Amino acid sequence: MTNEVRLLRFLAQDMTQAELGRRVGLTRQTIAAIEQGRYSPSLDVAFRIAHLFGKRVDEVFHWQPGGDQGTQTTSSDIS
Amino acid sequence: MSSLQKRAWLALWSMCPVYCIYFVAQIGLPYLQPTMLERIGCLAVVASFHAVAYICGLLMIKRHEADEPLLQDERDRTIDGRATRTAYFILLTGMIVVGMVMPFNNSGWELVNAALFFIVLTETARYALILIGYRQPRLAH
Repeated sequence: MTNEVRLLRFLAQDMTQAELGRRVGLTRQTIAAIEQGRYSPSLDVAFRIAHLFGKRVDEVFHWQPGGDQGTQTTSSDIS
Repeated sequence: MSSLQKRAWLALWSMCPVYCIYFVAQIGLPYLQPTMLERIGCLAVVASFHAVAYICGLLMIKRHEADEPLLQDERDRTIDGRATRTAYFILLTGMIVVGMVMPFNNSGWELVNAALFFIVLTETARYALILIGYRQPRLAH
Protein backbone atom coordinates (compact mmCIF):
# COMPACT_ATOMS: atom_id res chain seq x y z
CA MET A 1 0.00 0.00 0.00
CA THR A 2 1.34 3.43 -0.94
CA ASN A 3 0.13 6.80 0.28
CA GLU A 4 0.27 10.53 -0.30
CA VAL A 5 0.64 11.54 3.33
CA ARG A 6 4.02 13.18 2.87
CA LEU A 7 2.81 15.23 -0.11
CA LEU A 8 -0.39 16.25 1.66
CA ARG A 9 1.58 17.26 4.72
CA PHE A 10 3.81 19.43 2.53
CA LEU A 11 0.77 21.03 0.90
CA ALA A 12 -0.76 21.72 4.31
CA GLN A 13 1.80 24.44 5.03
CA ASP A 14 4.52 21.90 5.68
CA MET A 15 2.77 20.38 8.66
CA THR A 16 5.22 18.46 10.86
CA GLN A 17 4.93 14.73 11.49
CA ALA A 18 4.48 15.45 15.18
CA GLU A 19 1.61 17.86 14.48
CA LEU A 20 -0.12 15.40 12.15
CA GLY A 21 0.37 12.64 14.71
CA ARG A 22 -1.06 14.78 17.48
CA ARG A 23 -4.15 15.58 15.42
CA VAL A 24 -4.92 12.00 14.42
CA GLY A 25 -3.81 10.32 17.64
CA LEU A 26 -0.54 8.72 16.52
CA THR A 27 3.08 9.14 17.51
CA ARG A 28 5.57 10.92 15.26
CA GLN A 29 7.37 7.60 14.74
CA THR A 30 4.21 5.96 13.39
CA ILE A 31 3.55 8.84 10.97
CA ALA A 32 7.13 8.41 9.71
CA ALA A 33 6.55 4.65 9.31
CA ILE A 34 3.30 5.27 7.38
CA GLU A 35 5.04 7.73 5.03
CA GLN A 36 7.87 5.29 4.39
CA GLY A 37 5.37 2.50 3.69
CA ARG A 38 6.59 0.46 6.66
CA TYR A 39 3.23 0.50 8.39
CA SER A 40 -0.33 0.30 7.07
CA PRO A 41 -2.69 2.03 9.50
CA SER A 42 -6.09 0.84 10.63
CA LEU A 43 -9.15 1.92 8.66
CA ASP A 44 -10.10 4.28 11.46
CA VAL A 45 -6.76 6.11 11.32
CA ALA A 46 -6.80 6.13 7.51
CA PHE A 47 -10.18 7.87 7.60
CA ARG A 48 -8.96 10.35 10.21
CA ILE A 49 -5.89 11.26 8.13
CA ALA A 50 -7.97 11.62 4.97
CA HIS A 51 -10.56 13.73 6.80
CA LEU A 52 -7.85 15.99 8.22
CA PHE A 53 -6.59 16.80 4.72
CA GLY A 54 -10.13 17.08 3.28
CA LYS A 55 -9.64 14.09 0.98
CA ARG A 56 -11.23 10.70 0.43
CA VAL A 57 -9.39 7.65 1.78
CA ASP A 58 -8.69 6.36 -1.73
CA GLU A 59 -7.08 9.68 -2.62
CA VAL A 60 -4.61 9.33 0.25
CA PHE A 61 -4.00 5.56 0.37
CA HIS A 62 -3.52 3.40 -2.72
CA TRP A 63 -3.74 -0.36 -2.61
CA GLN A 64 -1.90 -2.35 -5.26
CA PRO A 65 -3.28 -5.85 -5.83
CA GLY A 66 -0.72 -8.50 -4.92
CA GLY A 67 1.77 -5.90 -3.75
CA ASP A 68 1.92 -6.84 -0.07
CA GLN A 69 0.35 -10.28 -0.01
CA GLY A 70 1.98 -12.66 2.40
CA THR A 71 4.01 -10.03 4.21
CA GLN A 72 1.25 -8.16 6.01
CA THR A 73 -0.69 -9.00 9.10
CA THR A 74 -4.19 -7.82 9.84
CA SER A 75 -5.88 -6.44 12.91
CA SER A 76 -7.44 -9.87 13.46
CA ASP A 77 -3.95 -11.17 14.26
CA ILE A 78 -3.99 -9.49 17.67
CA SER A 79 -7.65 -9.87 18.53
CA MET B 1 12.79 5.76 19.06
CA SER B 2 9.33 5.06 20.42
CA SER B 3 8.47 4.75 24.09
CA LEU B 4 7.90 1.00 23.79
CA GLN B 5 11.25 0.52 22.06
CA LYS B 6 13.07 2.38 24.83
CA ARG B 7 11.35 0.28 27.48
CA ALA B 8 12.17 -2.93 25.59
CA TRP B 9 15.86 -2.02 25.39
CA LEU B 10 15.85 -1.07 29.07
CA ALA B 11 14.17 -4.34 30.07
CA LEU B 12 16.66 -6.40 28.08
CA TRP B 13 19.73 -4.58 29.38
CA SER B 14 18.56 -4.61 32.98
CA MET B 15 17.45 -8.25 32.96
CA CYS B 16 19.73 -10.33 30.73
CA PRO B 17 23.19 -9.63 32.26
CA VAL B 18 22.15 -10.17 35.90
CA TYR B 19 20.18 -13.33 35.24
CA CYS B 20 22.94 -14.72 32.99
CA ILE B 21 25.33 -14.32 35.94
CA TYR B 22 22.74 -15.89 38.26
CA PHE B 23 22.18 -18.97 36.09
CA VAL B 24 25.91 -19.48 35.53
CA ALA B 25 26.40 -19.23 39.30
CA GLN B 26 23.59 -21.72 39.88
CA ILE B 27 25.38 -24.26 37.70
CA GLY B 28 28.48 -23.88 39.88
CA LEU B 29 26.78 -23.49 43.26
CA PRO B 30 25.89 -27.16 43.90
CA TYR B 31 29.61 -27.94 44.28
CA LEU B 32 29.79 -25.38 47.12
CA GLN B 33 26.82 -26.96 48.93
CA PRO B 34 25.06 -23.66 49.73
CA THR B 35 22.40 -23.48 52.42
CA MET B 36 18.79 -22.56 51.69
CA LEU B 37 19.37 -19.08 53.12
CA GLU B 38 22.41 -18.52 50.88
CA ARG B 39 20.45 -19.53 47.81
CA ILE B 40 17.57 -17.21 48.71
CA GLY B 41 20.08 -14.44 49.37
CA CYS B 42 21.66 -14.97 45.96
CA LEU B 43 18.27 -14.75 44.27
CA ALA B 44 17.34 -11.65 46.30
CA VAL B 45 20.57 -9.88 45.29
CA VAL B 46 19.99 -10.65 41.61
CA ALA B 47 16.34 -9.56 41.75
CA SER B 48 17.35 -6.36 43.55
CA PHE B 49 19.99 -5.51 40.92
CA HIS B 50 17.39 -6.08 38.21
CA ALA B 51 14.78 -3.94 39.96
CA VAL B 52 17.17 -1.07 40.71
CA ALA B 53 18.56 -1.01 37.15
CA TYR B 54 15.06 -1.09 35.65
CA ILE B 55 13.62 1.59 37.94
CA CYS B 56 16.60 3.92 37.38
CA GLY B 57 16.31 3.48 33.61
CA LEU B 58 12.56 3.98 33.71
CA LEU B 59 12.94 7.24 35.63
CA MET B 60 15.43 8.50 33.03
CA ILE B 61 13.07 7.55 30.19
CA LYS B 62 10.11 9.20 31.89
CA ARG B 63 12.09 12.41 32.37
CA HIS B 64 12.85 12.57 28.65
CA GLU B 65 9.24 11.76 27.76
CA ALA B 66 7.73 14.45 29.95
CA ASP B 67 6.77 16.64 26.97
CA GLU B 68 5.66 13.82 24.64
CA PRO B 69 1.92 14.18 23.88
CA LEU B 70 1.37 10.49 23.13
CA LEU B 71 3.50 7.56 24.28
CA GLN B 72 1.79 4.63 22.54
CA ASP B 73 -0.50 4.26 19.56
CA GLU B 74 -2.02 1.46 17.49
CA ARG B 75 1.30 0.50 15.87
CA ASP B 76 2.96 0.07 19.26
CA ARG B 77 0.01 -1.94 20.52
CA THR B 78 0.08 -4.17 17.41
CA ILE B 79 3.81 -4.87 17.83
CA ASP B 80 3.39 -5.42 21.57
CA GLY B 81 0.40 -7.72 21.01
CA ARG B 82 2.24 -9.90 18.50
CA ALA B 83 5.32 -10.19 20.71
CA THR B 84 3.24 -10.98 23.81
CA ARG B 85 1.28 -13.66 21.97
CA THR B 86 4.47 -15.46 20.93
CA ALA B 87 6.00 -15.07 24.39
CA TYR B 88 2.87 -16.55 25.96
CA PHE B 89 3.46 -19.85 24.18
CA ILE B 90 7.08 -19.92 25.37
CA LEU B 91 5.86 -19.41 28.94
CA LEU B 92 3.17 -22.05 28.50
CA THR B 93 5.74 -24.58 27.24
CA GLY B 94 8.08 -23.72 30.09
CA MET B 95 5.42 -24.13 32.73
CA ILE B 96 4.40 -27.52 31.29
CA VAL B 97 8.04 -28.64 31.48
CA VAL B 98 8.53 -27.29 35.02
CA GLY B 99 5.16 -28.29 36.42
CA MET B 100 4.37 -31.56 34.64
CA VAL B 101 7.64 -33.11 33.48
CA MET B 102 10.44 -32.05 35.82
CA PRO B 103 8.76 -33.04 39.14
CA PHE B 104 9.18 -36.72 38.19
CA ASN B 105 12.99 -36.44 38.18
CA ASN B 106 13.88 -33.18 39.94
CA SER B 107 12.94 -31.29 43.06
CA GLY B 108 13.65 -28.20 45.16
CA TRP B 109 15.86 -25.51 43.71
CA GLU B 110 16.12 -27.22 40.33
CA LEU B 111 12.41 -26.59 39.84
CA VAL B 112 12.68 -23.03 41.16
CA ASN B 113 15.57 -22.21 38.83
CA ALA B 114 13.93 -23.89 35.86
CA ALA B 115 10.74 -21.86 36.42
CA LEU B 116 12.79 -18.68 36.78
CA PHE B 117 14.74 -19.54 33.63
CA PHE B 118 11.56 -19.90 31.57
CA ILE B 119 10.16 -16.63 32.94
CA VAL B 120 13.37 -14.80 32.02
CA LEU B 121 13.40 -16.53 28.61
CA THR B 122 9.80 -15.47 28.00
CA GLU B 123 10.48 -11.86 28.91
CA THR B 124 13.65 -11.81 26.82
CA ALA B 125 11.79 -13.24 23.83
CA ARG B 126 8.95 -10.73 24.24
CA TYR B 127 11.22 -7.70 24.32
CA ALA B 128 13.42 -9.04 21.53
CA LEU B 129 10.33 -9.59 19.36
CA ILE B 130 9.16 -6.05 20.10
CA LEU B 131 12.49 -4.67 18.89
CA ILE B 132 12.38 -6.90 15.80
CA GLY B 133 8.79 -5.73 15.17
CA TYR B 134 9.97 -2.15 14.78
CA ARG B 135 12.55 -3.20 12.22
CA GLN B 136 10.13 -5.19 10.07
CA PRO B 137 10.00 -3.80 6.54
CA ARG B 138 6.20 -3.92 6.43
CA LEU B 139 3.58 -4.07 9.13
CA ALA B 140 -0.16 -3.58 8.99
CA HIS B 141 -2.62 -2.92 11.77
